[in-house]
Amino acid sequence: MNERYSRQTLFSPIGEGGQVKIQQKHVLLLGAGALGSANAEALTRAGVGKLTIVDRDYVETSNLQRQQLYTEQDVEEKLPKAEAAKRHLHAINHEVEVKAVIMDATAQTLEPLLGHVDLIMDATDNFETRMIINDLSQKLQIPWIYGACVGSVGMTMTILPGQTPCLHCLLKTIPIQGMTCDTGGIISPAVTMVVAHQIAEALKILVEDWESVRPSLVTFDLWRNQYQTVRLTKVKKKDCLSCGDQRTYPFLTLENATKTAVLCGRDTVQVRPPKPLKLQLEKLAKDLNGSGYSVKVNPFLLSCEKNGERMVVFQDGRALVHGTKNMVHAKAMYQSILG
Amino acid sequence: MINVLLFAQLKDELGKEALSIEGNGMSVAQLKGKMKIEFQLEGLETVMTAVNEEFADDETILSDGDTVAFIPPVSGG
Ligand SMILES: [Zn+2]
Repeated sequence: MNERYSRQTLFSPIGEGGQVKIQQKHVLLLGAGALGSANAEALTRAGVGKLTIVDRDYVETSNLQRQQLYTEQDVEEKLPKAEAAKRHLHAINHEVEVKAVIMDATAQTLEPLLGHVDLIMDATDNFETRMIINDLSQKLQIPWIYGACVGSVGMTMTILPGQTPCLHCLLKTIPIQGMTCDTGGIISPAVTMVVAHQIAEALKILVEDWESVRPSLVTFDLWRNQYQTVRLTKVKKKDCLSCGDQRTYPFLTLENATKTAVLCGRDTVQVRPPKPLKLQLEKLAKDLNGSGYSVKVNPFLLSCEKNGERMVVFQDGRALVHGTKNMVHAKAMYQSILG
Repeated sequence: MINVLLFAQLKDELGKEALSIEGNGMSVAQLKGKMKIEFQLEGLETVMTAVNEEFADDETILSDGDTVAFIPPVSGG
């Protein structure tokens, strides 16, 4: 018996047989922020065979309060999160093959990475990317586990293609202007609680204990003392465009993606949502004010500034990110504010 | 009467997490409209709804004694 995993194999629903399965599996983890680093650590300690981590960002001081894998040294070196995670994970368990992919996840960049993946773990910070994961999961028949948190609130749900409803069955349209960690803040126990649910589900899937997979959506609020599970037996839609009979995988097309473009001759990137929005700029200004941005707002646009970077958001959702030519960075900043 | 539960920031917006409201025979969408007018609750269009702990869409018809939970979708990570 392998000493390292002895306590996990003693847990009878996993056992020696389950451990063998875990070590043969390949998990793709999308996002290496708060949820991402906690998920990555748990999967690595559990001994998953291969872990691919995709992230577009680098480590900053404001991450350290909750993104458990990273250190002050990583901030000093401005390491990309995927790479920093890989280094720490190797020190925790060198038996796990960790692949760091530093890129912006789009339908086009993600699909080639999913060739031999058994499970997709969601640790992203926006619904646009989750809808892409959702469509790819259905197209390639790979289970995925939705996880999200903000403030003291968290939410998680397991999607098994061909069995459970998908995220698109639940959300007919992408919710706009939800709270994000940049507008609503975040405390670490909300992260840990989501990850506890996600990893329990992941272990069930990796050992192929399908019967035990949770058939409901879980939501909780650790500050307001709320916990609710919501059954999903009636929500699977036959006409769902992502998982139904006439499926088209709408989120894999370019027309449903957020677009970015560098503006000629200016140190500015324009970010454009797939469809025009109707933002409540006053509300957004209030949220941003409370989280360290200096904000100016008029009926037509909102201008916010933090750490020398300035973004102007128009009411229709279009934004200009000043002081950069980096489109990935601009999109990340936009989605960190608008979700 | 319909029992309404409000989650996360909706609880703060209303100042309490539970209330009873007239709504027998209404759809979920109609109840949302009523809540919006009576309590000035914003953002109900995009919240998830559970009726008796079962996920429900806007067309679901409500009956006296039902418990309706409004749950804002969470996107951070
Ligand atoms: Zn679906």
